[in-house]
Amino acid sequence: MTTVDTAPIRRKSFKKMITDSRAIQLVILLIGVLILWAIISAVIERPDRYLPSPLTTLFSSVDLLQKGVLTSFYADTLTRLVIGSILGIGLGIPFGLLLGLNRNIADMFYPLMNFFQSVSGIAIFPVIVIWFGNSNTTVMIVILYTAFFPIAFNVLSGVRSVPMRYISAARTLGATRFQIVKDVLLPGAMPSVAIGSRLSIGFAWRAVIAGEMLAGQAGLGNMIFAGQELDNTAQIILGMMLIGLTWIMLDHYLLRPLESDTIERWGLVQR
Amino acid sequence: MTAINEFSVAVQRRFGRQRLRKFGLGLIPFIVLITLWHMNSIFVWFEPVEIPPIADVWGAIFWLQSDCPGILAAIEGHNGCQLTNNISSSIARVILAMVVGVPLGVAFGIMAGMNRVVSAYLEPIGVFMNSVSGIAWIPLAIVWFGVGWETTLFIMLNTIFWLLFFNTMMGVRAVPKVLIQGVQTLGGSRLDVILHVYLPGAMTSIITGLRMSMGFGWRALIAAEMIGGDSGLGFMIFVSSAEFKTEEVFLGVILISLIFLATDRWILVPLEKWTIERWGLVWKPT
Amino acid sequence: MATEAKLIVQGLAHHYPDEYTGESVHALQDINLQIHENEFVAIVGPSGCGKTTFLNIIAGLLPYREGRAMVDGVEIRGPGPDRGVVFQEHAILPWRTVNRNIGHGLELRRVPKQERERRVQEYVDLVGLSGFEDRYPHELSGGMKQRVAVARTLCADPVIMLMDEPFAAVDAQTRITLQDELNRVVMATKKTILFITHSVEEAAFLGDRCIVFSRRPGKVKAEIKIDIPREERLWKDMVNNTRFTEARDEILRLVRSEVTNDDDG
Repeated sequence: MTTVDTAPIRRKSFKKMITDSRAIQLVILLIGVLILWAIISAVIERPDRYLPSPLTTLFSSVDLLQKGVLTSFYADTLTRLVIGSILGIGLGIPFGLLLGLNRNIADMFYPLMNFFQSVSGIAIFPVIVIWFGNSNTTVMIVILYTAFFPIAFNVLSGVRSVPMRYISAARTLGATRFQIVKDVLLPGAMPSVAIGSRLSIGFAWRAVIAGEMLAGQAGLGNMIFAGQELDNTAQIILGMMLIGLTWIMLDHYLLRPLESDTIERWGLVQR
Repeated sequence: MTAINEFSVAVQRRFGRQRLRKFGLGLIPFIVLITLWHMNSIFVWFEPVEIPPIADVWGAIFWLQSDCPGILAAIEGHNGCQLTNNISSSIARVILAMVVGVPLGVAFGIMAGMNRVVSAYLEPIGVFMNSVSGIAWIPLAIVWFGVGWETTLFIMLNTIFWLLFFNTMMGVRAVPKVLIQGVQTLGGSRLDVILHVYLPGAMTSIITGLRMSMGFGWRALIAAEMIGGDSGLGFMIFVSSAEFKTEEVFLGVILISLIFLATDRWILVPLEKWTIERWGLVWKPT
Repeated sequence: MATEAKLIVQGLAHHYPDEYTGESVHALQDINLQIHENEFVAIVGPSGCGKTTFLNIIAGLLPYREGRAMVDGVEIRGPGPDRGVVFQEHAILPWRTVNRNIGHGLELRRVPKQERERRVQEYVDLVGLSGFEDRYPHELSGGMKQRVAVARTLCADPVIMLMDEPFAAVDAQTRITLQDELNRVVMATKKTILFITHSVEEAAFLGDRCIVFSRRPGKVKAEIKIDIPREERLWKDMVNNTRFTEARDEILRLVRSEVTNDDDG
């Protein structure tokens, strides 16, 4: 007669733990990719130009690090990202809020905002360049422009989607217009602030890279652009990898957790 | 009732009062903006080189086409028809990139998503490839293909492919197993399961991927044309910008925006309506 | 009993490695059972006794390691239209209308459109969904979705219809309605049915034979025949039918004894 299940201590067998582990899977993947990369690099002609081997790329990075350039590029790019995002989000939130408060005003500005958002930071670059030249200002303006719209739209819809019953409830408690905004709409819009911020920063990141490339301002974007001009493909690949990795780190370990935490804490509005 | 009243009521009935109201309201900022723009030419708050007169922007259309011998020549891509050439170059690339990139991305995405082990391994690659934005590929593409249409096409194709691949893969993975089992017990083959379950099941994700492709892809294309292209709208506004021909830049920017809005409104939204909205798979805001 | 059994199971056993400890878990042991044409066999048992595993094996969704399982003399090797399944959760496709879902089996078999439409309409009417042919699942209630699932399976004309706790996810009222309807459908189509449930009442109400599974590892503990013609199986009548109440109580006792580990079964 088999025994009845009392709650046994559930622990995965060691073997299962290893094969299931995400970290191990990633390591295997990484090794696989590196091997594939090295093979392709070895068989094509003129690898130094078209696809430098992993080792060459590694040396290139060490070289750049030694010159102290890599860290300064990184710092420049990140600084632009932070400042541009803060400015864009800082402007976008109030704008979105204001628009969200009144249905008529929201309906009025929505198409205009839609139009300008579709212009995109990239397309507006040539205009900004005429106004401000190939300067850091230009890049910052483009970043600001790009970061503005996602958050503005999200906050706008976030405010609009706070369920009427919360507003009605507040009214029955005797809240003034201002109090309704402060105690119901603002907190209710917090989740969309979180979501919109993450989107904005994502767009801003792309804008930084593009802006640096186009305006020739020092940074990661310019680094890969310069790599092409200097015929230093290893630098290009290094830069691309750094860009990808930085975004992954930023998004998965900072932005997404922040967004989930905010939504959890402030989640008045059920999604 | 007067004729005007009758007309007004007829229009309202046809289009719906709410839509008309929104349309009217939405028009106001544009009218204000255009008015301010026009007044700028009169009062010269900003120099013409910074904000060109509306007439100049409109005139640029014809100026750019001035060496164009006629409509037929424009269609054939005559050298002098700068505007139409650039527009058609960009649009052609968009179409080509979509036509090739979307099916490829979806096909690979389905294959990857069907198998749990494979998708577990390929997911980080998808994440990484999508994190290296399409734009960052431009210098590498120039190394590989030189300055020209190959680079610009590649950039957009690349962006689209990875977006659709990743989104499709995740969408396929999320399809509830019981749906697949249901079709299997009806006698469905592997292909049947792919076409009848995985593909529609992943449609929400695929459309998200399409949306993002249009957004990011289009932007990457413009950037690629600016940096590594020799034709197209991006190329045109970049060159015009260097020559300080602001009216041409304005024209190009407006065109870019209109094209993007048109594709979104007339291709993407109907596609959404026809698929996921009909199937009730979309979260709609209250 | 002249006819050859539709489903023959001999010495079936199944085990799988436990996710955590890696040890073998014996889900089923030495199952012997036969189902004949037009029979409605219900399987009841405590949670975890393997009845769903058993159904999955017969459906071909799970491979079995020991014993034999055959439908119409053919060994079971994988899923197929000869064994239709009605799942617990809604397995109908959300992107197909009621009509296209019900006709899916025929579509897969490349049945011509006219013929297909005719047969689909038959089943739409049979399960009482007339008027809803062009609706999508998200527009239907839970009970209606299950009706579509049943119609879909029936329309594909399987040799045996397997039902995995199909009414567990709907509310009590709907459940009773669906049970009455299932009886009606069975009378009309004369299908062979294997029905899994953990509701003893439901099993006794629906089944010609009720098979009680033991606790894990699942074995056939007992078989109770319920000799009530299908025409008389209506809830309002059954509650007064002593054959029903006695059978139900007996089954309940058997199942309870498995749950509480009493060894008097």
